[in-house]
Amino acid sequence: MSNFSGKTFVVAKYEFLKTVRRKEFLFMTFAFPLLLAGIAIIPSLLAGTTLAEDQRVGYIDMTGSFDFPESLTHEGFSVGPLGAKPSTIEFIRYEESSEAREALQSGQISSYLIVPADFLETGVIELYASEKGMSVPGAELSAELSNIAINSLLKDRVDEPVLERVKDPINLNMYNVGDNGESSEQGIAEILTSFGLPFLMAFLLFFSIFSASGYLLRGVAEEKENRIMEVLLSSVTPSELLTGKVVGLGAVGLLQIVVWLSVIFLGGGYALPVDLEPMLLFIALIYFLLGFLFFASMMAGVGAVTGSLQESQQVAGIFTFVAAFPLIFMQVILTSPDSPLAVFLSLFPFTSPASMLARIGASEVPFYQIAASFFILFVSIHVVIVISSRLFRVYLLMYGKRPGVKEILKNIKAGGR
Amino acid sequence: MHTLEFEGVSKSFAEKNVIRDISFSVEQGEIFGLLGPNGAGKTTLLRLLLDIIKPDSGEIRVFGGSLGPAAKDRIGYLPEERGLYRKTKLLDMLVYLAQLKNVPKKEAQANAESLLKSLDLYEHRGKRVEELSKGMQQKIQFLSSIIHEPELIILDEPFSGLDPISTKTVKDKILEYRNSGRTIILSTHMMEQAQKLCDRILMLNKGERVLYGTVAGIRKEHGNNSLLVEFAEKRSLSIIPEIQGIRKITEHEGSVEIFPEEGISAQAVLQELIRRADVLRFEQAFPSLNEIFIETVESASGE
Repeated sequence: MSNFSGKTFVVAKYEFLKTVRRKEFLFMTFAFPLLLAGIAIIPSLLAGTTLAEDQRVGYIDMTGSFDFPESLTHEGFSVGPLGAKPSTIEFIRYEESSEAREALQSGQISSYLIVPADFLETGVIELYASEKGMSVPGAELSAELSNIAINSLLKDRVDEPVLERVKDPINLNMYNVGDNGESSEQGIAEILTSFGLPFLMAFLLFFSIFSASGYLLRGVAEEKENRIMEVLLSSVTPSELLTGKVVGLGAVGLLQIVVWLSVIFLGGGYALPVDLEPMLLFIALIYFLLGFLFFASMMAGVGAVTGSLQESQQVAGIFTFVAAFPLIFMQVILTSPDSPLAVFLSLFPFTSPASMLARIGASEVPFYQIAASFFILFVSIHVVIVISSRLFRVYLLMYGKRPGVKEILKNIKAGGR
Repeated sequence: MHTLEFEGVSKSFAEKNVIRDISFSVEQGEIFGLLGPNGAGKTTLLRLLLDIIKPDSGEIRVFGGSLGPAAKDRIGYLPEERGLYRKTKLLDMLVYLAQLKNVPKKEAQANAESLLKSLDLYEHRGKRVEELSKGMQQKIQFLSSIIHEPELIILDEPFSGLDPISTKTVKDKILEYRNSGRTIILSTHMMEQAQKLCDRILMLNKGERVLYGTVAGIRKEHGNNSLLVEFAEKRSLSIIPEIQGIRKITEHEGSVEIFPEEGISAQAVLQELIRRADVLRFEQAFPSLNEIFIETVESASGE
């Protein structure tokens, strides 16, 4: 990896441009965040449109004690700027259920409520809607009805603050007591930041590392399979080729993760109540670089040893499976980030980038652990690069039977020449 | 200074000797043939030359020194196993391969365009390799080995898969390069082409050097002092037995090969023939490289 010559740069530039123009890359990089944004925004958009319908609701009050307002304007809760349309529910009083039924059938009202005479004992309110009519916002209506019921039952019997407290009995505030003894408030934004975001970042990190090193694997296997390797090797040394590919495809992966992170960063501040620390982003980028170097060099070695694209992907699948462990154990990492399993995963080079990032997001990770994980990863990268470039040299031009593990080990030892 | 020198080079893979103690040299401005049956070690020898693989022992000198990155840029290589990026556009790929030889991008572009024009492929420059016919791909591959105007061109089976017209185009290019003072190493088992094109050859069999020298010298050395005679009239054949000192004759199409006995000179035989019949053609018969090749390989395997 030491000689970054002009040819290395030519290889890097070629690999970068070739990959960036691939349809799969463009799709993954730009469609993926859109898809993610879609998942976050579309349901609330849909909810927003139903809420925006003004409704007329009839009611029959058999207790005679309910105090329905004439209409209720409802501020729709929604994520993003599009769903915040207020909707109005208009209440119309009927004396008999037959009248209300006729009104419903003739379409004057969309539904009607019956408050039975024994409401105080049972708490039951009946909601009638026509079968094919538009949906009734049952949950919203239920919350409004509780308020109306509380008002009707307690008004003038208790003080105003008590009334308000009954309507909204508790607000649970959660606090984290940090190592330094200071406590910090943990609201919905913090919960999202400490659970949703680490998971998302770990997931994206895993994804971008694997798509970039996957391109590398595919490139090497293809060049070997269609025999262009020999032409390349008559012009560049194996290590120039390997370095150029790693640098070029690393830049591709970096571009991809920067696009994704900026989508989260920009979109996050906009639609999701999250707070991204720049430090976390910075650590994410370092882990991307190290993780990519680790897996890319490994994939290059796999691509060199195996004979065809298909075969190389099978072998690479084993490594990918190991690397997916943090995603499988994400729940453990997030809920008990200091458990031995979580610590192990965040130090083990195959799994450390995604796991450590998730841990940092979920809790305070001691600095020495982060440093240790960097160090272990760094040393592993060095070892893998040495092994891979030896394999590269020995096996790039060998075809036919895949060598056995014993022979590969022998060549790794002998390949120092 | 020799363009290329091998000195006692050996290489083995997995305890099997592929190249055994090979020494030879290639001079500047010649077409040097590397011949041998399949599996003789020709491709391994070329890979050793190109520093793609390392020799176990011996020394290889290219342009007077060991092969460094700068020397690599002066070599063009057409491997036997052809390979191109299937999905890359012709021009882009040629430019990339030239850039890997340290040719600046603009110059690479210009070279690629003029070479494509000279082989009537310019109109296809924007196509992907996979859209081209096999023959065109072969020509592109040949172009990719000369795009950086190398001083030493190594061609491994350059004519395989080419039709007669393309073969002639490639052959003309090879001669053109030789005449401009470049050195060409031609690895082939098409003996007829080798005999016509090469100045000197090295023949390998089972990793060992079996023949080495000028084409003319080798043919002379392997000649069995026979004479090729063509008569004006076919019936003149009957006069041959009248002549003393002829060991045997072999009839070829339109001519006859006469094998004189030991100690009988060609001149004496010619005089006898002219006295008796009209001779149209009379020449010393040299075995073709093909015959020498087969003889050498067969005698080696007979041992």
